[in-house]
Amino acid sequence: MIRLADLQRCFAGVLPSIISTCSASGVPNVTYLSQIFRVDERRIALSCQFFNKTKQNVAENPFASVQVIDPVTLQTYDLDLRFDHSQTSGPLFDKMATRIQAIASHTGMLGVFKLLSADVYEVLAIRELEGSLGPAPADQDQDQHQDSEPAPLSLRSELRALSAVTERLRGATDLDGLLSTLLDALREELSFEHAMLLLPDETGKRLVSLASRGYGESGIGAEVRIGDGLIGTVAQTEHTIRLTNVAASLNYGRAIGRTAQDHGAHAPGAEIPLPGLPDAQSQMAIPLLAHGRLAGVLAVESKNPLGFEEWHETFLDVIGHQLAIAIENMMLRAEAEEAQAITRSAFPPKPTKAARVLRFCFYRNDDCVFVDDEYLIRNLPGRILWKILRSFVDGARAEFSNRELRLDPSLGLPPIKDNLESRLILLRKRLEQKCPELRLVPKCRGQFRLETSCTLELVEKDSG
Amino acid sequence: MAVEATSCTATVFLPAAGSALTLSNLRDNRQIALTFSRGIDHRSLQVKGQLIEISETTEAQRLLQDRYFTRFSEGLIFIGHQEKLLRRIRYFPSYALRFQLESMFDQTPGPGAGRIAGVSS
Repeated sequence: MIRLADLQRCFAGVLPSIISTCSASGVPNVTYLSQIFRVDERRIALSCQFFNKTKQNVAENPFASVQVIDPVTLQTYDLDLRFDHSQTSGPLFDKMATRIQAIASHTGMLGVFKLLSADVYEVLAIRELEGSLGPAPADQDQDQHQDSEPAPLSLRSELRALSAVTERLRGATDLDGLLSTLLDALREELSFEHAMLLLPDETGKRLVSLASRGYGESGIGAEVRIGDGLIGTVAQTEHTIRLTNVAASLNYGRAIGRTAQDHGAHAPGAEIPLPGLPDAQSQMAIPLLAHGRLAGVLAVESKNPLGFEEWHETFLDVIGHQLAIAIENMMLRAEAEEAQAITRSAFPPKPTKAARVLRFCFYRNDDCVFVDDEYLIRNLPGRILWKILRSFVDGARAEFSNRELRLDPSLGLPPIKDNLESRLILLRKRLEQKCPELRLVPKCRGQFRLETSCTLELVEKDSG
Repeated sequence: MAVEATSCTATVFLPAAGSALTLSNLRDNRQIALTFSRGIDHRSLQVKGQLIEISETTEAQRLLQDRYFTRFSEGLIFIGHQEKLLRRIRYFPSYALRFQLESMFDQTPGPGAGRIAGVSS
């Protein structure tokens, strides 16, 4: 007997599914579906984005038939359905709506297409369409053999990986180490080659990437506005999104954009570039939630259209919860220890006469810092860097504390949950990448020292 | 699908494998609905009509199916599907379903989906 769980690949959206309904007078209707979600072992939910003939037909005659195709084997299955009910709110609706919102946001069509209802159907029968395929290619036989590994062994492997990742997270002693440890563990235990961790900035309106694997230098400091694209939507809705066959999903959004314009809607807004891989075929983003607050977003990508399965989502949800709590705890501990720290105003060493000159320019309008005419950093980390550089050059100080930064009104840190720790990590990493001659070296908890053998020249300007 | 413009009839080919229920339904109420979609941009059309006859596909029609399948495969390969997998699809033996075209609907995803795109006179 075929179970709904056996058809998970068919519901991934790689190949479109088709629904057939029939009016009370016997007129059939056939159309493509955008999303199928397995609710449980005997029910599925179909996305409804526009009031249409399908909706009308099932109101008159609740029986329907859905055809789905396995993207790996091309095997077709027919599902006999009976319409049960529609949901316009609740966890199922939110989960399906978030995915559509992410695609709409990415393609500049936010608000033009959205989920109207999650229509729940009871599955009465599942039939495999026999005889529709010739023999499988040789390498596919191998894939299928791997897929037929006994489930208990696979489950034990997943639990072992979960245990290994958790164990490694426990060993981290600071925020930077925590984020790096997680991404290394995900790569080594789960082969997630492309991953990034983004934390909210001081305004709470953007996320900034603080750690990444698989993107080279471009991964650090990448910004995403909350509400924009896949990652921004996850941050806004606080729901996990798993997108398979990304190219097809975005094409679907663009198709809606074109027809919406034909029907009087505004032209689509600018598309938001996918952060990371230009040719990603599957993406998943998990909100990191601790005590009801968004601590960040973990995003992973793959070039495989079926790169992430349902169990990956559950796995990362568990890890994400632990990570969010750990991030919160690290920040609280850092603040508590900083309060007791004593700052010594150590003097910087005098640069030698032949020392290289680093020219920093601070643009007051947008708090942007350039070094030797190359963009370095902006916003709060930019203001912090400028304060430190000023003190270093004017006041001849080399050591600083997080506490004094928090108490400095000119920096404009929010009074609570200022994310200072994460801003300093970003600043440190940007310096490592763009200006390795200048280093922020941690001294003890809540204190750091600015080190350089170069002569620093500082200029302030009004416009960038 | 092969269309005869003058008589406003069309013939569509249904693979014999797994066709029993569809054939039974067609013989029962003779109403037919078909949706076609272009993978590259999701442009989609639905046609509806009344069944005229069901027959076994002829060799000449098989050549038509081969040509159609080649073009269909090219479109799918262009958007990233694997040729070796597409070669598995068996569309023969099949039945030829000839029907009277009655109406056509734009089925492209979006607010206009379901709009009438043509009606037979």
